Amino acid sequence: MSNPTQTIFVVDDDEAMRDSMTWLLEGEGYRVACFDSAENFLKARRDDMRGCLVLDVRMPEMSGLELQEKLDALGSQLPVIFVTGHGDVPMAVSALQRGACDFIEKPFHNEDLLSRIQRALELDNQLSARRQRDGVISHRLDQLTQREREVMQLVVAGKLNKQIADELNISMKTVEAHRARVMEKMGVRTLAELVKAVMMVN
Amino acid sequence: MAERTPTTKNWLMFPLLPNAAPRQNWLWLAPYVAIGIFAMAMLILTGLLQWRELDTARSALEGDMHWAERTIENRLHAHQDLLSELGREQEFKQLTYESFQVKATRYVRDAPEIQAIIWVDTDGKVEWVAPNESTATFVGEQLSGARLAALQEALRVRRTVVSPDYRDGTQRPAHDIILPVQRGSADIGAFIALQSLETLLRATLPTVFTARYSLTVLDAANREVLSNSSVKPTDRQLSGTISLELPNNRLGLNIVAYRVGGAWLPFVPAGLIIILTLIATITLIKLRQHARHRAATEEELRAAYAFRQAMSESLITGLRAIDLEGRITFVNAAFCRMTGFDESELVGIKPPYPYWPPEEFNRLQHNIDTALAGKAPASGFEMRIMRKNGDRFDVRLYFSPLIGTDGQQMGWMASMNDITEPKRVRVELERAHERFVTVIDGLDSAVHVADVQTGEILFANRAFQNIFGFDTVGRNSAQVTAPCRPNPEWLARDPLQISAEELPCELFDGEIQHTLSGHWYHLHERAIRWVDGRTVRVQIGADITDKKHIEEVNLQQQKRLEQTSRLITMGEMASSLAHELNQPLSAIANYCAGCVKRMQAGNYRLDDLLAAMQKASSQAERAGKIIRRMRDMVKKGDPNRQPIALEELVDEARAFADIEAQRTGTQIIVDLPENLPRIVVDRIMIEQVLLNLVKNGIEAMSDVPFERRQLTLQAKVVDERMLEISVTDQGHGLAEEDIEKIFAPFYTTKPEGMGIGLAICRSIIEFHQGRLWVEPRREGGTVFHFTVPIEETVEVTHE
Repeated sequence: MSNPTQTIFVVDDDEAMRDSMTWLLEGEGYRVACFDSAENFLKARRDDMRGCLVLDVRMPEMSGLELQEKLDALGSQLPVIFVTGHGDVPMAVSALQRGACDFIEKPFHNEDLLSRIQRALELDNQLSARRQRDGVISHRLDQLTQREREVMQLVVAGKLNKQIADELNISMKTVEAHRARVMEKMGVRTLAELVKAVMMVN
Repeated sequence: MAERTPTTKNWLMFPLLPNAAPRQNWLWLAPYVAIGIFAMAMLILTGLLQWRELDTARSALEGDMHWAERTIENRLHAHQDLLSELGREQEFKQLTYESFQVKATRYVRDAPEIQAIIWVDTDGKVEWVAPNESTATFVGEQLSGARLAALQEALRVRRTVVSPDYRDGTQRPAHDIILPVQRGSADIGAFIALQSLETLLRATLPTVFTARYSLTVLDAANREVLSNSSVKPTDRQLSGTISLELPNNRLGLNIVAYRVGGAWLPFVPAGLIIILTLIATITLIKLRQHARHRAATEEELRAAYAFRQAMSESLITGLRAIDLEGRITFVNAAFCRMTGFDESELVGIKPPYPYWPPEEFNRLQHNIDTALAGKAPASGFEMRIMRKNGDRFDVRLYFSPLIGTDGQQMGWMASMNDITEPKRVRVELERAHERFVTVIDGLDSAVHVADVQTGEILFANRAFQNIFGFDTVGRNSAQVTAPCRPNPEWLARDPLQISAEELPCELFDGEIQHTLSGHWYHLHERAIRWVDGRTVRVQIGADITDKKHIEEVNLQQQKRLEQTSRLITMGEMASSLAHELNQPLSAIANYCAGCVKRMQAGNYRLDDLLAAMQKASSQAERAGKIIRRMRDMVKKGDPNRQPIALEELVDEARAFADIEAQRTGTQIIVDLPENLPRIVVDRIMIEQVLLNLVKNGIEAMSDVPFERRQLTLQAKVVDERMLEISVTDQGHGLAEEDIEKIFAPFYTTKPEGMGIGLAICRSIIEFHQGRLWVEPRREGGTVFHFTVPIEETVEVTHE
């Protein structure tokens, strides 16, 4: 079920927690990377990291919440699962409000953890796919000429070829030619597909 | 300055020491000496003249004397010649009585001094007398006495003899000139001429002579026989004696010149000279005195003038005289110095004066008009004027009428004082005073000064007046401060007994509560010397109510902190214990779960499982250690259980809770039955429980109306072992589900609560073998109950 490109990043100051978490998750077949502090994770972080982050809320120096803030600022879309102890509930709540994926209270049932991790990984997959798709469409859009883009915008806006020709002060034939090239470059066959692709990017 | 100093000194000494110039004394002696020499010369001259006159007179006298002597001698010789002629005729008998009579009578007529010529016989018997009418003698008369003796002597010596002087019939001195006559060798008789001496002198010497001289005839024995004057001249300086040697007799004639004009006459010039000298001397002395007086007056005047000059020069007050129209007639040096204008630039100028600054023009014009109208205020004008260089400065100008020597007002005299400095000083002083007042009034502390003797308040700042009233100055300190005043017995010293040397002296330093306002003041009182030398009490009272309150609160908080620290530690410990235990427990769970998964999948290596299980067991050990550590701590904080009265405990808890209760307006009602048995508890712990419950109750009523905010503390004995205490609030009460969970750890209904309060409370109570539970109150609200053990008194009562 797990995507081989995905890794579960565990950030916890407690060595036993990291080790046991690795044991548990590797037993489930996940790739696990452990960091003993938020700072170390930040050093190792890359934009193309895939997977999810299991983050202990209470850590010396930089706390889990602070790390989350930093990541947000960096534009990371890695899903975050907070692990909290007693009394950290308000903290966890605020973390969720700020867009954390999930949180789990210690001591947790391993199935609980695993299901949350699974969900996080799926979310990561979706996010990744969207990023990819957006990337393809953006790439295609970039290939359009200025005139083609103008024609495309008017097409997407639901204008008829004649209207477009009037607006842009070009001939109907030229509009049709541009339109065909746009469809071709954007890799869509129908108008509906084109509209969907443009909507996605925007 | 060097020149002025002696003048000043002279001036100062002047009234005591007239300026005597010793070097001029000799000059003053000269007139005296001159007068002396003149007087002496005059006297000498006079003396010389006198002497010369005397000499002349003496010469005249001598001449007159010789003349007189010769005349008398000639007369006498004539008498003798007659007698001798008569004698010769008789001798030769040629003479008859008749011829005798003729001759004799004829002779006597020419010589009146001859009274008679007689012829006597040898026995002295008068035989002839001529002239007949003579009464000097008579024929037949017998000579006797000295006359007869003289006759006989004449007869004997046969020469003319003059008899001694005798008194004739008229008692006048007379003498006889006797010429004996012999015939042959026989004496026949003698002719005798009876000569009166007085007549002799009169007849022979002219009246001029006798008038000029006093003549005195002396006989042979130098006895005075006759004098032509009854007045005897006392001055015998001009005198001489003629001695006429008569036969057998000597006729002495003493001549003394009468002084013309009296004896004093020669002394008149001398006297006059002396008087003149005296007058001259006295005049000189007077003159000198006058000169001296004049010199003194001059010196006085000079000193006075110099003094005035110096005064005018050294005056720092500017003087300016103006006439009735405002024209300047005089300015002194100081005025010129002050304004910077020369005298020549000011004198003769009418207003506006050059030293008027343009901006003050109107005011100054008004001032001068006022002054010229004679309405200048006695306190003068304060004005700002301008120096020549444009500097402005403040002056005060006083006007007074200028009265001339004729008593008429000539104008106005103005004296000008530069008050820039005094004004600055005054302003400084005012500001200093203002600052002082501001500072003193700005003080929070109440400051006042009261006379020790009378108690009168001499000074009080605003803070003091705020407390004790705004009319306190002048009133009696003891009355004013009566509500907040140290008892006289508390003072370190009796203020009335403090001598001036001991000042300043501490009297009181302590805290006193104002009996009316309830405020607390820290009073510090000292006795000091007041500005006028009196001994006064200075009291500084600082309102320390807030400070005291804060102190009290601090003290309570401190106490509370101490009391709750143990519980807080326990709470924190529980929290951190939970966190710490989470770690190993989670790790263990992970390890186990990992193993289970692997074993279920059948995809495992035994070594891996073993290692994981070993790690899990070491984590279990770690958990055990944490638990042990916790237990150790709890052991260390073993409660200290002591018998205590519940009331005491409630009072203390209430003291803390009161602050909160007052803040929220909650009334805490303590309703404890009397004679409750003592309980055996850890006082701090149970107090904390009580406090917790009370505070919970107060908070529960935070949103009910004020009148409902009542919290009741009650107690009752349950059985011989336990005492039940209940805390009842009238809040909204608890929901059913809350009642079940309320004691669970980390459960809270309060936004900022930790959720361990009641859990700990329950732990504490259970620790005391008691029970803590909660019930809803039927009328709304909640009742918390807990039980604590009673002191076992069974044994005590057995005894």
